[in-house]
Amino acid sequence: MSATVTRVVPADAAECARILAEAARDRRTVRVIGSGTKSYIGDVAPTDIEVGTSRLAGVIDHEPADLTVTVGAGMRIADVALLLERAGQFLPLDPPHADEATIGGVIAASSNGFWRARYGAVRDLLIGSRIALADGTVARAGGRVVKNVAGYDLDKLLVGSFGTLGVIVEATLKVLPVPAASDGLVARFARSADAFAAADAVVRGASRVEACVVERGEGTAWRLAVQARGSAPTVKRAIEDARREAAARQGEIRELGDALGPLRELPARATDGALVRVSLPVAASPAFAETAARLDSLDALVADAASGIVRVHLQGDDDAVVRDAEALLVAARVVGGAGRIERRAEHLRSRLSTWPTRPNGDFLMRRIKEAFDPAGILEPGRSAFA
Amino acid sequence: MRGLVALLGPAKVLGAHEDLLMYEYDGAVDTATPDAVVLPDNTADVAALARFCHEHAVPIVPRGAGTGLSGGAIAVEGGVVVSFARMARIIEIDVPNLRAVVQPGVINLHLSTAVAPHGLYFVPDPSSQKACTLGGNVAENSGGPHTLAYGVTTNHVTGIEIVLSDGTVVRLGGKAVEDEGFDLVGAFVGSEGTLGLVTEMTVKLTPLPEDKRTLMAAFPTMDEASETVSAIIAAGIVPSAMEMMDQLAIQAVEASVHAGYPLDAGGILLLEVDGPRDGLDDVRARIEEICRAHLAREVRVASSALERERLWAGRKGAFAAMGRLSPDYYVQDGVIPRTRLPDILRLVKEAGLRHRLRVANVFHAGDGNLHPLILFDSRLGPDELERAKAAGLEILTACVEAGGSITGEHGVGMEKNCYMPLQFGPSDLAAMRRIKDAFDPDGLMNPGKIFPTPSRCREFAFAATAR
Repeated sequence: MSATVTRVVPADAAECARILAEAARDRRTVRVIGSGTKSYIGDVAPTDIEVGTSRLAGVIDHEPADLTVTVGAGMRIADVALLLERAGQFLPLDPPHADEATIGGVIAASSNGFWRARYGAVRDLLIGSRIALADGTVARAGGRVVKNVAGYDLDKLLVGSFGTLGVIVEATLKVLPVPAASDGLVARFARSADAFAAADAVVRGASRVEACVVERGEGTAWRLAVQARGSAPTVKRAIEDARREAAARQGEIRELGDALGPLRELPARATDGALVRVSLPVAASPAFAETAARLDSLDALVADAASGIVRVHLQGDDDAVVRDAEALLVAARVVGGAGRIERRAEHLRSRLSTWPTRPNGDFLMRRIKEAFDPAGILEPGRSAFA
Repeated sequence: MRGLVALLGPAKVLGAHEDLLMYEYDGAVDTATPDAVVLPDNTADVAALARFCHEHAVPIVPRGAGTGLSGGAIAVEGGVVVSFARMARIIEIDVPNLRAVVQPGVINLHLSTAVAPHGLYFVPDPSSQKACTLGGNVAENSGGPHTLAYGVTTNHVTGIEIVLSDGTVVRLGGKAVEDEGFDLVGAFVGSEGTLGLVTEMTVKLTPLPEDKRTLMAAFPTMDEASETVSAIIAAGIVPSAMEMMDQLAIQAVEASVHAGYPLDAGGILLLEVDGPRDGLDDVRARIEEICRAHLAREVRVASSALERERLWAGRKGAFAAMGRLSPDYYVQDGVIPRTRLPDILRLVKEAGLRHRLRVANVFHAGDGNLHPLILFDSRLGPDELERAKAAGLEILTACVEAGGSITGEHGVGMEKNCYMPLQFGPSDLAAMRRIKDAFDPDGLMNPGKIFPTPSRCREFAFAATAR
C-alpha cells in the first residue's frame, strides 16, 4: 500500500463516476468523505483515494408547495436548514453532528436523531437520489415526487450503505412546514421503570411528540426528555399529558431547555471507551437499560423511547469496556434486536470490531455489493456483512 | 403437473382448465393463463415449490387477492401461480412493541379490524382494502388516501420472511426499526414479486388518532380544487388525506354509492385531518376558510362517524362505480409534483378528447398521485383498449416530463414495463437489474414484469435510445 493518499474533489457527478471507474480499473481503494464527522464507524484502514463531496453542494431544486428539496450531497444539513427556514419549512431530520454533517453522509450512514418516530427516518424521507457508480455510470433512483413505485427502491439500499455501493451525489428529500409552537419538559426519576413507563405512556398517547428520550447520565437518576412541536393547542395538550404521566410516577419536572442537544450529540462526545448502539423492539428498551445500568463501565445511556434505538457509552478499564460492549450486543440480539460498536477509542479498535456478527441475509448483501463494486474498492471495512 | 401433485398433494394444486381461468386476470386489463396454480399452507410448501420450479426452470408468480392494477399477478410467461389464500393467519398481535406478525394472505382491513380493540390500526389503506392482501401490499408497496401524512407500505414494514427462487428461506429485519447491513426489507418492499415470495411479515401498528374531522368541499371547476390543495399546504397544514374527484366520477359514485356529493360540482375535495382533539377544530376552520377563498360552493363537515363513512364510501367505491358509466375502464397511476396539478388535469382531458374516450378522475391530490380512469367498451372491438392505452401513455409521458413518475402505488407490472425507459435511463435500469440478479439470478420470479422485455416492448425501443 502506498503511503500517500490521493485526495480528489470532483466538481460533478460525471467526474465523480470517472474517478471511481479509474480506481476500479487500477484496484485502488476509495473512501468517500463529506465532512468526515462519522469516520469512526466501521473497521476502516487508510485507502488509496479519498473522494470529497464538498463541491457536489448547493440547492438543485426547491418548490416549497411540493414539500420537497433536491440538494447536492455535499451540502451541510445545517445549510439546508437555513435555506428551508426562509421558506417557513424544515427538513425533519435531527442527526448527530448537526453542525457539520452533510446530506450525503447522513444518508450513507443512516444517521437519525430523535425525530424519526414522529417524522420518519432517513429511509422514509429520502425519495430520490443520483449515485456515481464504480463502473463509471451515474444512476438515478426514485424521483422528485413523494409517491413513486416505479422499479426497485434503490434509495433504501443507499441509506446506511456507507458508500460501499457508490457515491451519493444528489438527494431529494421530503420537507415540512415549520410548526407554529414548541414546548417540552424534563422529568427526573429515581427508578428506570418509572422513566420508561412515563415515556411509553407519552408515545402511546393522543399526541405525536417530536422527541421522547430516556437518559441515564451522571449519578443514578433517570431523566425523561419530551419535546412537542405543532399548533399551539396540540403542543399544550402534549406537554400537559406528558407532565401528568411524569407526575403520576413521582417524576420531578423541569423546563426542557437545551437538554436534547447533548443527548443527540452523544456519538460526537464519546471519544473514549466504546459507544454501543442498538436497535430494539421498543418494549425491550427498559430491560435493556436496566442491564446496561448494572455494568461497571457505564458512563451514559440515551434511549429513544419512541423508536427503540439505545446508545450506551462505556468507559474506564479496557477489559471491562470490551466485556460490557460485547455483553450489550448479545443482550440486544437475544430480544430480537441488532447493534454495532458505533465508536471506540483508537486503541480498542483491534479488540472491538464495529460489526462482530453478520446480519441475516448477509449472502444477499454480498451479492449486491459484488454486483455494484466487483473490484471491491469502495469503502473497505464498512460492510456489516463482509 | 404430476410432479407438483406428487410434491404437495392434490389438495394444493390446481391444473384443470376451468380452475386456471380464475387466475388469468387481476384488477388490470391484461390476461394470461398459468400452467398451474399452487395453494401452499406454509413456508415449507413454498420453499419446496420454489426448489421444484428452480430445478425445472419454471416461472413462479405470487398472487394475493388478485386486486392488483398493473398485471403483477398474471403469469405472462406461463409457469406456476402461487396463491396465498390459505396462508392468511394473523400470527401475533404484539401490542407492547406496536407490531403485528402476519401471513401474506391476510386481508388488509382484517388486520386493522383485529387490532382496533387495542386502539391501533395498520396505516396503508388502499381502496381495495376490503379484499386486497398484506402480501400484495408488500409486493406493490401499496398506498391509499391516508399515506399523505403517514406514508405507504414500505414505511410500515420492519421484517419479512422470504423464499428465494431457489427455495432458500431468509428472514430479514424483525420487530426493531432497523437491522445492520443493507436495508433489504426496504429493497424488497415494492419489488412486485420479482425478487422472491413473502411468506411472513412484521408490520407496524399505529395508535388510532383520538379524533378526526372530515370535510367535503365542492368547487365550480377542477382548477379551483387543485389550487386549494396547494393553498392548504402553503398554509402549513398537512392533512391526513386530500382526495379529489371530477364531475364524471361524482356522477358515477352518486349513482352507485349515494355518498351525497353534489352532482353539479365541477370537482370536489375530500379532506381529513386527525390527531389529538385539541386544535382539530381550528385546523378544520382554516381549511374551510381556504376552500371558500377558492370559491368552494359548499363545504360540508361530517358531523358523525356515519356521515364520515358515507363520504369515504364514495371515494373508496369510486373505481367500482365506473361500471355505471362504462363496461370497462383503464386506470392510470401517474404522479406529478402537486403544484403541477392544474396543467396535468387539462392535459388528461385533452388526451381523452384526442382518443375519443371519456376520462374520470379520482385521485390522491395531496400526493400528486393521479388516477385517470379511461372509460372504454371492449365490446366495440380491440381498438377501444388500444386507444385507452394510447391515451394512458400520453398521460404518463406528461407526468414524467413534469418531473414525476409512471406509477405512484399500482406498480409497473406487465402493464407499464415497456414505459420504464420513459422515466429511467439505461444506467438506472442497469442498477435495478443488479438487485434483481442478486436475489433471483435465474430470472424465475415473476418474469416479464418491471423490466422492459425485448419481445413485448419493441415499439418502445425509441424511448430507451432517446435518452
